[in-house]
Amino acid sequence: MARAERPSRYINHEWGSSSKLDASFRFCMVYPDTYELGQANQAVRILVNVVNAQDGMAAERGFLPAADMCDALRDQGLPMFSIEGCAPLRAFDVIGITLPHELAATNVLEVLDLAGIPVRAGDRTCDDPFVVGGGPCAYNPEPYALFFDAINIGEGEQSLVEGLQLIREAKEQGASRDDIRRALANLEGWYVPLLYRWRNEEEAQAAGSWIEPLEEGLPTTITKRVFDGFAQSPGWEPCIVPFAEAVHDRLNVEILRGCARGCRFCQAGMMYRPVRERTADNIVASVVEGLAQTGYDEVSLTSLSSTDHSQIREILTRLNEVYAGKGVRISIPSQRLDSFGVDMAGLVAGQKKGGLTFAPEAGTQRLRDVINKNVTEEDLFGAVDASFAAGWRRCKLYFMIGLPTETDEDVKGIARLVQQAYDHARAVVPKEQRGSIQIGASVALFVPKAQTPFQWDGQIPPDEALRRVNLLRHSVKYRAVSISWHDPKTSFVEAVMSRGGREASYLVEEAWRRGARFDAWSEHFNEQAWRDAASALAFDVEAAAQTSYPLDYVMPWGHISCGVSTKWLARERDRAERETTTPDCTFGSCSGCGACMRLGLDNELAEPRVGTCQPAETPDSFEGGSAR
Amino acid sequence: MTDPNAPKTYRLRCTYVEQGRLAMLSHLEVAHTLERTVRRAKLPFAISQGFSPHMKIAFGAALPVGVGSTCEIFDLQLTRYVPPAEALAALQQASVPDLMVQDCRYIEGKAPAASVAFPLSTYEAIFDGSPTAIEAPETVSVVRKRKEKTLVVTDYLVKPFEIEENRATFALRALPTGSLRPDVLLAHCKVDAAVVSITRIAQSEER
Repeated sequence: MARAERPSRYINHEWGSSSKLDASFRFCMVYPDTYELGQANQAVRILVNVVNAQDGMAAERGFLPAADMCDALRDQGLPMFSIEGCAPLRAFDVIGITLPHELAATNVLEVLDLAGIPVRAGDRTCDDPFVVGGGPCAYNPEPYALFFDAINIGEGEQSLVEGLQLIREAKEQGASRDDIRRALANLEGWYVPLLYRWRNEEEAQAAGSWIEPLEEGLPTTITKRVFDGFAQSPGWEPCIVPFAEAVHDRLNVEILRGCARGCRFCQAGMMYRPVRERTADNIVASVVEGLAQTGYDEVSLTSLSSTDHSQIREILTRLNEVYAGKGVRISIPSQRLDSFGVDMAGLVAGQKKGGLTFAPEAGTQRLRDVINKNVTEEDLFGAVDASFAAGWRRCKLYFMIGLPTETDEDVKGIARLVQQAYDHARAVVPKEQRGSIQIGASVALFVPKAQTPFQWDGQIPPDEALRRVNLLRHSVKYRAVSISWHDPKTSFVEAVMSRGGREASYLVEEAWRRGARFDAWSEHFNEQAWRDAASALAFDVEAAAQTSYPLDYVMPWGHISCGVSTKWLARERDRAERETTTPDCTFGSCSGCGACMRLGLDNELAEPRVGTCQPAETPDSFEGGSAR
Repeated sequence: MTDPNAPKTYRLRCTYVEQGRLAMLSHLEVAHTLERTVRRAKLPFAISQGFSPHMKIAFGAALPVGVGSTCEIFDLQLTRYVPPAEALAALQQASVPDLMVQDCRYIEGKAPAASVAFPLSTYEAIFDGSPTAIEAPETVSVVRKRKEKTLVVTDYLVKPFEIEENRATFALRALPTGSLRPDVLLAHCKVDAAVVSITRIAQSEER
């Protein structure tokens, strides 16, 4: 153990960890990457807690050992083990693997193989655990279809427990693996790929769906599950305090779920609808309880867009009062430009001022209207004025390159915008401190995501991406402004995993067999393995990533519904083409996405949201471009 | 440096064990864990002023990863007096068993820092058998900051190995220029048994 890099990844015994030795039914919740990346993961934390709360069920955590440890285990003939009980994964009844991002697919296979479980669901026997998946990437489950017995679509608080109860009862009654899969397929929110034939393109377009049930009575659309008690449930979700330094190693309190801003590239903004807020009283009590129980000196008020919470000012004011002079830092992970004014700058200021990040996403108002970002230059400059006047000195701006309809003017617009932001910062910072101003732009390549209005759009080719980045670099005249560019080497994998059909699942398996794993780690990413796998299978990765489709084309995830209707997505894509924005329904009127109706749950706000950016008017009034 | 107007603080010296698999923790990981333990224990700890406020806590000399201890030290500044037994009980309540404070006592505000006050460390090594002899080399080469450095063992090893059945004790001195790690020293010794564990069992002042 002492030879392993960072042994504290593997040793358990952390504050807050528990073990339930007497439970007869055992579930292992696996994050398919290392401990420090997965320990703070919300899905792992929540789902371990809900399963442990069931009578007779125990949940443990599992993390893929780092590459050195994977190899050491294989050399010694040892299997992958859980954290709490140090038990081999094979000994569990069910293994749950969360799919947090598109670059974790080969790690799923690494987990299964290291655990001694056949990687293909179809090869498993009654001695093998059930392997179930879920998480953000489950909204296009096909690239994982071969590997899972069942995939849970949507929020797992209730549906995972239902799935596990079903498996437990069926096993107790001696049901066969096939029978259990069949029963799961009929449970709301569960998808069992093995029970559906994958059609070819022509068949799929003619039939309006890529999947054909192999038996009668199976659902042909799988609709996501939502946790309907979110708003009322306590924000304090008991958590483990790791020894090892981990990402997001602080108290995380989820203050709201969902975002209806409707950015057209954003998958999270589509799949977590409707919007549900916990109340200020709940949140303040949760933070107080959580900090006392964990001993953390930092709390993050998490959500997709925390400054949108209708009571965010009250929450921050109350927390600032409680923790004044106690060395506790209260942070907000993402700030919207249009809601970050002087008052917010004061409220989240505290005493430590790290860097701020804002995401204008595009360099011109035209393109921001196309993507429905609904922030203006004035919003950005106002936020920069407020934050630099309040004492911040570092600010990073996120942009995407390759968005649908992007022109060279839009790319040059990024340079212009960042330089103007720098001018604004300079103007409010005292002369002697101007040298410490850091404003940078971080640029990423647009990856089309399933279940978004841009799902039909292809990615631009790598050469073109590079040309646009160079254009941007040459357009920046200020030496003080830095441009960082996320290397797109992995982008084709992300696009294939995001948009691929069931064929992609064979590609993943082949790439893994050729040595691909830890694709999200630049030092481990094995591009050759993916390229070789693609040519061995005659899989055209360029086409998978770059092809654009007409809006009536049935995409490979058409049978999965996040509540938002495909018709609405197509309408949004059409409005994008016309540079027309659509307002956020939590501030204004309903835009008809269909999620509330389909899921039987409305937006739940703690208070009405008023006026941070948009008047409650018809969408057409925004055509002038200003969102204010 | 000392601000005459600074409010009075009380300096509590805490001795803790680091044992079992938690011997695998790094110094930084232990430091973070203990800060969080102090917060969980709700002790009235002092906070530094300035740009980046933090708990006024100071740690003793770092323990190598993989080496356990029965006698690690941190000093904590409190803004009000808490009876030592009460502080100890609160800290224990907030600790995991293998990283737990065993003793609390108040020390002088001006007493030397725990990291320099005790340059002598006594270690106990346990072997998988009973070694007949442990022969230390004259020098040990170590890599520090990518530079190879040769350490003369007698500069550090102040008390030779005393063997008793399957265990051996020895003492190492920390020099201002650095120290010799007990696990590194043992790895370079000629010994007819394999090391199972190493534990720091005492820290003391220079004789």
